[in-house]
Parts: sequence; structure tokens; C-alpha cells
Amino acid sequence: MPLDASPLLSASVAALLTLPFAGFLVLLLTHRRIAGALAILLTSIGLAVSIVVAMNVAEQPMLIQTNWATLSGSSFGISFQVDALTALMLILVHFVALLVQLYSLSYLHDEPKLGRYFAYLQLFVGAMLGIVLAGNLLVLYAFWELVGLASYLLIGFYTDRPAAGQAAKKAFLMNRVGDIGFLIGIFLTYYYFNTLELISLTAPNSGEIPSTALGLCLFMGCVGKSAQFPLLTWLPDAMEGPTPVSALLHAATMVAAGIFLLARIHPLLSPDALVVITVVGTITTLWGGYSAVFQTDIKKVLAFSTVSQLGLMVAAMGTGNVSGAMFHLLTHAFFKAGLFLSAGAVIHAVHTQDMRHMGGLRKALPTTFIAYTVCAAALSGLPFFSGFLSKEAILGEAFHWSSAQNDGLSYLVPVLLLLSSGVTAFYMVRQWRLVFFGDYRNDVVPLSQAHEPDWLMRGPVLILAVLSVWFWFALNPLSAHSSWFFKLFPATEGQNFWWLAPVSIGLVLIGGWLGFRMREPHSQRSYVRLSVEYGFLDTMYHYVFINPIRKLATLLNHADQRVIDRAVNGAGISTVTLAYLASGLDRFVIDGFVNGLAWCISRLGRITRSVQNGLVQSYITAAVVGLLLILWWLL
Amino acid sequence: MILSLLIFLPLFGSLLVVLMPENQASQFRRIALVITLIEVLLSAVAYASFDKTLAGYQLLEQADWITLPLGNMGIASIRYLVGIDGMSLPLVILSAVVMLIGVISSWTTITTRTRAYFSLYLLLTGTIMGCFVALDFFLFFLFFEFMLLPMYFLIGLWGGPRREYASIKFFLYTLLGSLLILLVMIGLYLSVMDPVSTAVATGVVASPSAVSDELIRTIQAYLQNGQLNPSQIVHTFDMRHLADGGNYLPNAFLNPAAEPIVLGLPARMLAFWAVFIGFAIKLPIVPVHTWLPDAHVEAPTPVSVILAGVLLKIGGYGFLRIVWDFFPDGAAEYAQALGVLGTLSIVYGGLNALAQMDLKKMIAYSSVSHMGFVLLGVASLTAEGINGAIYQMVSHGILSAMLFLIAGVLYDRTYDRRIDSYRGLMQPMPQYTTLTAIAFFASLGLPGFSGFVGELFTLMGSFQSQWLPGWLTAVATTGILLAAAYFLWTFQRMFFGPAWIRPFDSPQDVTAVLADLTAREKLMLIPLGVMALVLGLFPNLIFNLTNATVAQWLMKFAVE
Repeated sequence: MPLDASPLLSASVAALLTLPFAGFLVLLLTHRRIAGALAILLTSIGLAVSIVVAMNVAEQPMLIQTNWATLSGSSFGISFQVDALTALMLILVHFVALLVQLYSLSYLHDEPKLGRYFAYLQLFVGAMLGIVLAGNLLVLYAFWELVGLASYLLIGFYTDRPAAGQAAKKAFLMNRVGDIGFLIGIFLTYYYFNTLELISLTAPNSGEIPSTALGLCLFMGCVGKSAQFPLLTWLPDAMEGPTPVSALLHAATMVAAGIFLLARIHPLLSPDALVVITVVGTITTLWGGYSAVFQTDIKKVLAFSTVSQLGLMVAAMGTGNVSGAMFHLLTHAFFKAGLFLSAGAVIHAVHTQDMRHMGGLRKALPTTFIAYTVCAAALSGLPFFSGFLSKEAILGEAFHWSSAQNDGLSYLVPVLLLLSSGVTAFYMVRQWRLVFFGDYRNDVVPLSQAHEPDWLMRGPVLILAVLSVWFWFALNPLSAHSSWFFKLFPATEGQNFWWLAPVSIGLVLIGGWLGFRMREPHSQRSYVRLSVEYGFLDTMYHYVFINPIRKLATLLNHADQRVIDRAVNGAGISTVTLAYLASGLDRFVIDGFVNGLAWCISRLGRITRSVQNGLVQSYITAAVVGLLLILWWLL
Repeated sequence: MILSLLIFLPLFGSLLVVLMPENQASQFRRIALVITLIEVLLSAVAYASFDKTLAGYQLLEQADWITLPLGNMGIASIRYLVGIDGMSLPLVILSAVVMLIGVISSWTTITTRTRAYFSLYLLLTGTIMGCFVALDFFLFFLFFEFMLLPMYFLIGLWGGPRREYASIKFFLYTLLGSLLILLVMIGLYLSVMDPVSTAVATGVVASPSAVSDELIRTIQAYLQNGQLNPSQIVHTFDMRHLADGGNYLPNAFLNPAAEPIVLGLPARMLAFWAVFIGFAIKLPIVPVHTWLPDAHVEAPTPVSVILAGVLLKIGGYGFLRIVWDFFPDGAAEYAQALGVLGTLSIVYGGLNALAQMDLKKMIAYSSVSHMGFVLLGVASLTAEGINGAIYQMVSHGILSAMLFLIAGVLYDRTYDRRIDSYRGLMQPMPQYTTLTAIAFFASLGLPGFSGFVGELFTLMGSFQSQWLPGWLTAVATTGILLAAAYFLWTFQRMFFGPAWIRPFDSPQDVTAVLADLTAREKLMLIPLGVMALVLGLFPNLIFNLTNATVAQWLMKFAVE
């Protein structure tokens, strides 16, 4: 049985939601000099409150419910739900947001619209908190859309750049495509269960899952927000926003929302839906991985590595490994935020995002180099780093899943996921080499001027790097089974594959070695372009969806004017023509007839008048003639 | 008293303005402002005195107007009968608010022939109120027709370059609709008796107040058994009686049981379609919508605001009050076709909006798309759908008013409405940008604003409906993607990038031409934005009004 939340918890939840949204409004009007400090204060309070919430979490989820819309016969509430998963996400979101805000203080110190920037960040955080706290699908959807709004504002933050507007719009629209599925999924849920409350929907033993379509529609929301295949192309474009935003967006907010959604609705997913989710996740992992391989933009490599890692998490969800996926979400949040903030430090130093114009920066940026190396090692899945633990947890469960499927083809999933970790190591080491090794290749900023940022930026990066080692998650650096995480979020007991760790370490080492030794191929090679253009997915969208829809819109607009309106005008013109015809008829035929009649009558009148001439003789003549005629007729 | 005041105060004001000397130009707008302000207060009083828990009509006022014995044709009766229920009250309040905003918007933009303008404006206000509160079909029709006259002149005299074409088109379209409604109105009149007055006329009771529900059923039974003397049957336009199937004369033209066939369709179904088209033109529903883009583009800003904010809602109101209520059998029979028409409007309007180069036209087509949700919700015949449809009308009234005011702000500065004439408006006009972003995001269905609630519940209703297939909702849902596409594309083109406007006469300094919002403009836009937000956060503000009425209204469609 779910519990009603205690007064402390209710107050905490209210505070958690009020702080960022009130902060958003206040910060919009705040002077840029104190905006950052105020935002950091708000987030720190939020973090403290989150810790309080985490300490008060009970075994059972706790609920806060209030009525929102009452319609005759049904009522829709606003409800919030707090459980261990919520508490974990609350702390994660606040913590990463806090570091990103500290970093932003220095990174964006020249920005004139700084108040607005921190306001949008608060909105972003608040919307994400809403998703995490949501107790029913409607609330979740509402905050889900608000995350879309906040991302729109942040990606389009540099408003004078046309590309920023383009990217912001693209992100919002691609998310909307997924959201349509999400919304239909909500309608389906209400149709089948007559409730949208998560607590009732996901109650154990709530019976058969009525529909595969329901799960797949809800999953579409995740496909959009977590940049799964085929809706992944908005994520690389989202780089138009300020770099610290990318760190937040790729780690704890936005893309994490999709994974969180899957964790929440997992009991609603039918076995068939889970297979589809696994396949989509696997495709995304490979697609994102290959797309990262030949990118030249430092942030784009990281963006596609996010796509790839999100695919891994989704595939884990598909194999039923909810806790493994959430574990990877957690570890990934730290090292990916660390990587983005390090990349920001590099960009800050050399004023370019093009890795072809970097190189040999390990001496100029020693702190960044160390932090970057640690985070990259975690992402690649080297032992003694957090990424290794969470990847093992996912891969082990995936092999377990395919052995339970009784279907040889299903082994393709874990094998491909395993191979993708080699690809990850390949492109991360390639990036590491391009940025920090070799010769410095930048003509604009001399190497002597490339220097480390101040401690406000280095601090958060180092903290994130420290959090990317194994120690914080499990004492055993080679297995996550003893981790505190799996005590809080128990995983299904799978078997251990003794060969898995050595094989994956071997693949990582091979991938890394290749990445370090490779020579950059020519950028026009077809396999390079396939990677850089991420499988020509955007080109395909352009020709298959965007252009046809725009053509259809223009066509319909022509139809509107040429067909419907012309018919209307035609009806008008023909009525007027008819009126003229009628008036002609009136004038010539009817009037003619009337006039003719009048003429005839007047002629007749003249004739008769001429007869009535007043002469008695002619009257008598007429009378006699008439009499004779009558007599002739009678006889 | 309140409802009569709502109608006659502006009519009186209109007369007052006409009678004043032309040189009092500055007084006309003040009179209009005061009167529309009082209208808002009156609607607030109506709101306060309305009992939300009751389903029937409230604040009734009636007076006999025309009573004419016609021998064997029975007795003709037309009455002055006004009242409100949960369906009309939200629209009355909306109208009062939008008319007030319209006056503020006219304040400085209307400079020529102000006496005629404000006189027509007040005439329009009175007739619109009349439409929403009249409960006698004849009275309703009178107001409905009378609304056309000021609208025709407001577009035709104060409009843009193609105003004459637009106003004639608007007039003829609406006249065609009126004609169809008139035909059905006469048919209904001939087919329906007023059981209360008939009871009095036959001498069963002495006064109308003594008539009980039981007696009404007895009289209806007499009628069906042919026991009433035809010369004593009182024919009526009273909507309450028109909506009751028991009042239809046996063998009458529109009696559900008799059903003579005309043109291959039962006469009742034909009448259903006729009166449906009559109101569909007003809403408007594709394919009878093409008057709307022209009328909007040519009309001056305040008239566009009224047109989108209030006039379109009479179409949706007519569906609920007249088409569906008098012809429930038709609505049930053709629910699927009606749902398809609503979905067609949503998608077709959305795609058309995507193709527009003119800001006002884009907003006009977005109105077509958003009004499609109203038809879809009504066609669903579910509590969610109907409540959602009424909510959507109110929400669209607020948001479309805001959108047209936003288009007007730019037009007042540059006399150019083309989307591609502007770039980077964010720099010179930050406040304008903020309010535009609010209006755009609210219109594309961002949760927290009213647009989301209306779309959510109409779609949910259509999905729950046993009359509509599930795929229809799925198709209609793409409307919210299209809305995001055309609004955000427009926003990206007009507001992002370096500031630039298409030079028209001579090279212009962008910042000099594009001054940010004036206090008057903010006075209009901010309250509308706040209303959209408040209604979006607290949808029960409207649902509490509509619930009881809708629940009773839906009883007709309950499936045994």
C-alpha cells in the first residue's frame, strides 16, 4: 500500500518544485551580477532538501495528490510520488546542475544576458524535477513538455545566430514527434486502466498487460527525448547552446528523462514491446557509436557518444534490466558531464571546437587533461572506473536475457552491445589523441596563450572526474554485484559470465589501441561521410518528410485558393452572371413582351379610336354591317 | 435583468453614439470603453449569481412578444426569452472580455469615421451577447442575422486593400449559412408544440406557472395520440421545447418517427446537415472555411480579434445548443463523419498554416485547425470531449485574440504583415518577443497554458468515444505537431538572427521603426497571457461551470 506523504515530505516536494520555478521568474528580472549567485543558492537549497527527502524515503512510494480537473464522471489529479528512484534522481539532478552553474559563472562571465541564462537553467532543472516527482502520467507529460520548452530556450540562447533558432526548433519538433506517441499512449492507458496514476498502473500483479501498442506509444516519448533511433538527429544540433548547457542536457536532464520514463512505466511494457525496445536501443548504440567515430567537432563526438550510451541504457531496459540501466544513467551522468565541461575548458582555451585545430594540449592544460583522461576512461569502460561497472551490469544481464530467449538471433543483441564498447574506446582515444597529443595545429591562438581556466571551472571538472572512479559505486573494481546501488534497487539474479570481463577489457584495449594508432582518413571517403553525416539520417528526413510535407502544405494552400476559393468565387460570379442574364431577360423578353403588349393595345386603341370618330353616319354603317353579319351567321 | 442589460446596454450605447454630434470624436471611444467595461462587470455578476451545481437554464427572463392564432395552423408564439446555462456562461464572459480588449485595441488605430465605427462596434457587442443568451430560436436568429450587418461594415469600411472582396465574401458565406438555419428553423417551428402554452390554450390549467412536469407529459401524450385540436396547439421557437422529442407533432415534417424522405435522405437528417453546415460555416469547418483567411487579413486588428475571439465561437455554441440538441439522432448517426470533418479541419488547417507567408493568414489557418478540435470534441459525445470543446472555445478565444493583437503590433509599425519581412525582432523588441513567445507556446499546446487543456480533453474524449474510431484521434493528434511546426518556424524566421526588416520606402533604422510595446499594447496582451496561464493551471474554473450542464446534455446520447 502506498503511503500518504508526511508533512515534512510534502513540504519538501513543494519546496523542490517552487524553488526553481519561482527562481525562473525572479532571475528573469535579476541583474546579471547577482543572478549566478542567486541561482547557485537556490540549487544548493534544492540539493539540501533532496538529501532530506532521500533520508526520509520509505520502502513504499509516498504520494501527494490533489485534484486538477473534474469532468462529469472522471477526475484528473495532480499527484507526486516519492520513492528511492525519485530520491536518487533528485540528488543527481541538483548535484550536476549545481556544478554546471558554478562552471557557468566563469565560462559565461562576459555574457550580457546572464540573468536570462540562469533563469532558463532553473526552468530546465525545475521541469526535470517535475518529471522525477510526477505521480501520474499527465503530470509527467506536462513537465516533459516543459523540459522541451527549457531546452528550446537554452539551445536557442544565442538568439543572434540563425543556426541557434534552427537547432532549437529542430529539437522541439523532433521531441514533439515522440510526444505525439507519448500522448496517444496516455490516451490508451486511460482507455484500458481508467486511471493515469503510476502507483495503480505499476502495482505488482495488476494483471495482464492489455496492449503492446500502449507500451510502444509511451516508448515513443522516450525515443524523442532520449534521442533514440530514428529521432536522434536533434541532439548533435543541440550543441548550438552554451557548452555548460550541453553538460547538463546530456547528463542529468532531458535525455535522462526518457530513461527515467522507461523505468517508471516498465510494468506496462509487454514482452513484444520489450523486444522492440531492445532492438531500437541496440540500433541506437551502433548508430551513435559509428557516427562518433569520424566527427571533427569535439562536442559532436561527445554528443554521439551520448546517443550510443543512451541506446545501451534503452537496450538494458528492453532486456528487463531496469536497475542496470539506471545504474549506467548514474555513472554516465558524472563522466559525461565531466567530459563536456572539460571540452568547454578546451574550447575556452583555444577558441575552436574543431579538433583538427587542436593537439598537444596536455602540457598547456594539465588539470583538464587529467580530468578528461579519467572521464574518457570511465566512458570507454576501463576497469577501476565507474563506466566499467555499469557496462558489465548491462552486458551480463543482456547475455542472460538472450540465453533465456531460446533464439539464436537474440545473441546478436549482447554481442553487438559488447562490440560497441570497443567502438567507444576507439573514438574516445581518437579524440583524446587529437586534442591532447601530437602537434599543436591552431594558427589563430598560439599555444602559449592557451591556458587553464580559473578554479571555478576546474573545480567542477575535477569533482566529476573523481566521481568517475569505481570506489564510489562498489568496493570491488571488477564487479558491481556488491554495489550499494543494487542493494537499493535490486536487480534480477542473473548468472555470472566469467569470460565477460576479460573479453570486454580486451575489446576496449584493442579499440583504444586502434584509436591511438589510426591515421585520419580523407574527409570525402564514403565511410567517413557516412559517419560524419550520421548515416545521412537528416538528409533522409529532408527528402522523405520535410520537403514532402512542405510541398503538401503549399499544394493544399493552392488547392484552398484555386479549388475551394475558385469554386466560391465561381459560384459568386455565376450568380452575378445569372443576375445579368435575368436582367437582360427582364429588359428584352419580359419588358419586351410588356412593351409589345402595350404597343399592341395602343395600336388597337388607335384603331378603335379611329372608329369612334363621332360621326353618326359611320356608327350607323357599322351597326348595319354588324346586323347583316349576325343575320348571315344566324341564317 | 442582468442578461437583458447585457444585450440592451450596448445597443443603447450604439444609439447614443449615433445621435451625438460628429465633432465629439474623442467621446465615442470613451463611451465604448465604459460600456464594454460595464459588460465585463455584468458578466461577472452573472457568474456570481449562477448556481454551478444546476444543469438547467438560469437567470431566465421571458415576455410574450408575438402570439397569433392561425386557425387550423395552431397558434404562433414568439417570445423574448433569455437565460444562461453552463455552456453559454463561459462564452458570455469570454465575449465581454474580448469586446473590452477590442475597444482598447481600437483606441488609437481607428482614426477615421470614429462615430460610425464605435456605433457599429457597440451594435455588434449587443447582438453577440444576444446570440449567447437567447433561448427562443427566433430571437437567436434575429441576433445572429443582425450581427452580420456591423461585421460587414467593420470589415468593408475600415479594412485593408481587398476589404470589399473580403467583406462581401464573409457576408455571402454567412448569409448562405443563415438561409440554411432559417429553413430548418421554420421546419422546426411547424413541427413542434409548446406543451406549457398548449396546456393553457386548451384550458387544462389557468396559467403557465401551474404546469407540472407530469402535465407536460400528459399533454405530449395527447399530442401523440391526436387528441389535441389543431387550432389549440401552440407552435413555438422555445429552444427548451425544440430539444424535447416528445413535443414533435405526429406526422410533422421533422418528427423523428415520421421521417418523410426528401432527396433520398430522411427529412430530419437533411435538416440536421443543413443546420450543421449553417453553423459549420461560422466555426469554420473545412471545406466551408475560405471566408476566414480573407476576412482576417483584411479586417482591422480589433475586428480580427473579435472575429477570432468571439464570432467563431457562435458556430461551436450553435452545434451544442441547436444542432446536436435538436437533432441527437442525426449527431449519433453521423458521429463518425463529423469526427472525420473535425480531424480534416485540424490537419488541413495546420498544413495550410505551414504554407502561409502572411502572419495574419498563418494565424487565421491556425484558427481553422484549433476549431477542428471543437468539432472533434463535440462529435465524440463524451463528457471529456464536450467539456473540452467548450474549454477549447474559451481558450482559443483568449489566445487567438492575443495572436491577432501581436500581428497588429507589427502592422501598426511597418504596415507589413509578411513573415519574411522580419528577422531578429528579438533585439529591438524584447518585451514583444516575450509576449509573442508566450502566445505561440500557449497556442501550440504547452502544458500550463490553456491551449493544452482544450486539446488534451477533446482528444481524450474522442479517444474514449464509442462513436469514433481510435485511428481518428491518432490522426488528429498530429495537429499538435503541425501547430508546433508552424508556430516555431514562424518564430525562428521572425525573431532569431541579426535584426533586419524589409526596407519599404527608404532605408530605415530598424530600432527607430520597431519600438517596443507601448503601455496600451501591454495592457491588452499581458491580461490575455495571464488568463491563458490561470485557466491552464486551474481548468476547473471552467469545468465547474460546464460539468452539470454537459452531464445532463449527454443523457440524450446515453446508449442503452
